[in-house]
Amino acid sequence: MIEIKNLSKEFKNIKAVDDISFKVSNGEIVGLLGENGAGKTTTLRMIATMLKPTGGTAAINGFDLVKEPDMVRSQIGILFGGEVGLYDRLTARENIKYFADLNNMDDKEADKNIKELTELLGMEEFIDRRVGKFSRGMKQKVAIARSIVHKPSVMLFDEPTIGLDVTSSVIVQDFILSCKKNNRAIIFSSHSMQEVEKLCDRIVIIHKGKIIEDSTIEDLKEKYSGNLEEVFVRLVGGKDEL
Amino acid sequence: MNFKIMSVVFKKEIKDMFRDKKTIILGILIPLLIFPVMYGFMGKSMEDSQEKVQKNLKIAIKDEGNSSFNEYIKSQENITIIKSQDLKKDVQDGKIYAGIEIPKDFDDSIKNDKQVELKIVYDDASQNSSMAMDIIKSMADTYSKGVVKERLIKMGVDESILTPMVIKEDIVAKEKTNVGRMILSMMLPLFLIIYSISSPMAAATDLGAGEKERGTLEPLLTTKASRMNLLFGKFFAITLMGLIGTIASITGLLISFKTSPSLFGGDASVVFPAKTLIIIAALTIFVTMIFGALELSVSIYARSFKEAQTYLSPLSIVGMAAAFSTYMIDVKDISPVYLNIPIVNISVVLKEIINGIYNPMHIILTFVWSGVYITISILFARYMFSKEEVIFRT
Repeated sequence: MIEIKNLSKEFKNIKAVDDISFKVSNGEIVGLLGENGAGKTTTLRMIATMLKPTGGTAAINGFDLVKEPDMVRSQIGILFGGEVGLYDRLTARENIKYFADLNNMDDKEADKNIKELTELLGMEEFIDRRVGKFSRGMKQKVAIARSIVHKPSVMLFDEPTIGLDVTSSVIVQDFILSCKKNNRAIIFSSHSMQEVEKLCDRIVIIHKGKIIEDSTIEDLKEKYSGNLEEVFVRLVGGKDEL
Repeated sequence: MNFKIMSVVFKKEIKDMFRDKKTIILGILIPLLIFPVMYGFMGKSMEDSQEKVQKNLKIAIKDEGNSSFNEYIKSQENITIIKSQDLKKDVQDGKIYAGIEIPKDFDDSIKNDKQVELKIVYDDASQNSSMAMDIIKSMADTYSKGVVKERLIKMGVDESILTPMVIKEDIVAKEKTNVGRMILSMMLPLFLIIYSISSPMAAATDLGAGEKERGTLEPLLTTKASRMNLLFGKFFAITLMGLIGTIASITGLLISFKTSPSLFGGDASVVFPAKTLIIIAALTIFVTMIFGALELSVSIYARSFKEAQTYLSPLSIVGMAAAFSTYMIDVKDISPVYLNIPIVNISVVLKEIINGIYNPMHIILTFVWSGVYITISILFARYMFSKEEVIFRT
């Protein structure tokens, strides 16, 4: 469960995130929509405690991100888009195990989880090979396994399918849906309206650091009468004109 | 502080770096082999050249008067007299190493107590020719001394009149000393400091800016591990890699001292007592830690590998300048000011102990200062690692 309360972040007098509040329940996927620079990544970085908020806070499964950052991090898994950020000279197993160790898991539990994830993601053939020569899809699978090896109850996805081919995108999308099935609270940031429509239960549209809409996709379509893309352009464009 | 997490980071970084062939080749093999190979070649070519000239001194003599000096030269060992019409040309062409022109009236002049001009033709651009010149000069010198002796005897004067003073050397040193050891005491502190600064650099660049460039830093920061544990794990890995590099380089240097002693002024085999080795090791670790932390701070600030390398060059130059400043310093006369200047104090104490001087005040002061520098460097790295503008500076 994620509960964001009046969260703000200012960089040298620029309000990147301005007093936002929303909730994500367990088993719910909330899409975070916005243009480049709207404040999506800053919000996710604050939830992941990589950035300190300049105002407000958030509770992750009851842990306050300002007061208990270590506990917050143990609750969350995060998958980034673009460069997956793996260590080329380590094997897939060593990459995943490193993150399990950093999340303070004991060896037995880590090995058990890695075995499960290897089977689940079909990584048996390459789990003990160095990742340097992996294809993008293989790397994506390792990154997914790494993000979830410590069994977090909250998942954050920051444009995870950006630059991926169709097959790799489907792997990621299936993974997000499996997280929902496992009753995790999920925030999914994306540019792709089709993906958002396919995966999300609810969407939060963020523009220039502020939330301008927070509702289900059906309600949004009904309220603004149009497809999601048209609704988004109207909402963001409308705000720009103002 | 979570030592388990720190050791996880440390072990992973060491494993990662040891799997990198580039690190092994550039960080260990090249420093280990460069000096023995380089000095080996230099020493070998010098010795070959010396041997060649000494065993077969090819010279030409132009002597119309068939002088006694000509006979004297011919009577020496390993001399090959080659006929030459043009001394200059033959020296230039390398046919002969040197040519001697003896004036026609050489013997008459010597007999009449006159000064004679002996002309030696040689090529100062050629090492062989220069060496031949030295040998001929020393022959001429010996011959001259013989002539002087005869002249003095003829005049009824004792030859000791020419040497009113005889110097007897009485060296004050605890151990047998030589030029090699003196060179070692000048070079070792300098090299130890330079290597301690440069050896951790590759690891520091990789573990800071490298992580940023590969996109591995952000996922790392989302784990339960605190930034301080990540920082210390990395810092110790950098220090260890730096020490391995320094040990490889110094081993290479010591091997070349042993294999090419002629280049270092003779036998430089010095056996240091255990306390000297302990202090040398401690000071080397201190410099590696100071610069390891500073280099990691700079590296984490840089956006990319390349940027980190650009920023690190001036940092290493500052450290090296401090080490160079004491290169020619006399260890018997150290100003207290030196003992309070970072790196300079370490260099001074290294020089002292290599020369067998153990000044407890100097050693304690330098150790205390080193502790201060290490703390400041780590605090700086900690500050950089916790600053959002630095970590997310892309």
